[in-house]
Amino acid sequence: MGIAVRLDDLLHERRMTLTELASEVDITLANLSILKTGKARAIRFSTLEAICRALDCQPGDLLRFDTVS
Amino acid sequence: MSNQTAALPIASVVLRILVILNLVWGVCIFALLCGTVFAHEWTLTALGITSNHPIRGILLGLQAIAALGLVVIVFNAMILKRLIAMVGTVRDGDPFVAANAYRLHAIAWIMVGMQLLSIVIAAIGKAISTPEQPIHLEAGFSTTSWVAILLTFILARVFAEGTIMRADLRGTV
Repeated sequence: MGIAVRLDDLLHERRMTLTELASEVDITLANLSILKTGKARAIRFSTLEAICRALDCQPGDLLRFDTVS
Repeated sequence: MSNQTAALPIASVVLRILVILNLVWGVCIFALLCGTVFAHEWTLTALGITSNHPIRGILLGLQAIAALGLVVIVFNAMILKRLIAMVGTVRDGDPFVAANAYRLHAIAWIMVGMQLLSIVIAAIGKAISTPEQPIHLEAGFSTTSWVAILLTFILARVFAEGTIMRADLRGTV
């Protein structure tokens, strides 16, 4: 059980690379990579807001409560 | 160079000098103690203590104080070793690590040991002091030292909490 980050899926749907997103939301590629691979321990509201704005999505589209993994 | 950047190299040099001075002081006490035990008469004569000198009556007490002094030297070395390691972490740019919290905690306990030894040394000094041969030692209960010990324990806790908070922040995106 845990919180799954669907950043990879959202990027794929929008035909966008992690590098492009990094430059758009002004977050380092390394930090976005940590988020994408599910290694992040916490996410700031400001980061969430920036990603949602850039990907035109809701926080719920990015995060999902996974009961399996 | 600003005061803040200069403080670190100065602290590093001062601590290393203190390590050497502590070692020299320890060797002197050890040599004196060994001299009074194994070459009793020769050492006392070399120190100009005649056979009827009042200090001969309290020699055992002075030897006990010297032996406890050696323990204090070891405690000093333990504190200095940890302080040098802490200064090293500041120099490396990563002072908020769990190891420093443990070091500070250990330093606080060593300081407790030193204070207890100081009280014992003062008690021995008072017990052997006579009107003919008064003993004045800068030892005993010290409010300032106990406040410093309390401060060190608190600082160790602050460091430990800060390290945990930093670890949390490290994984925050």
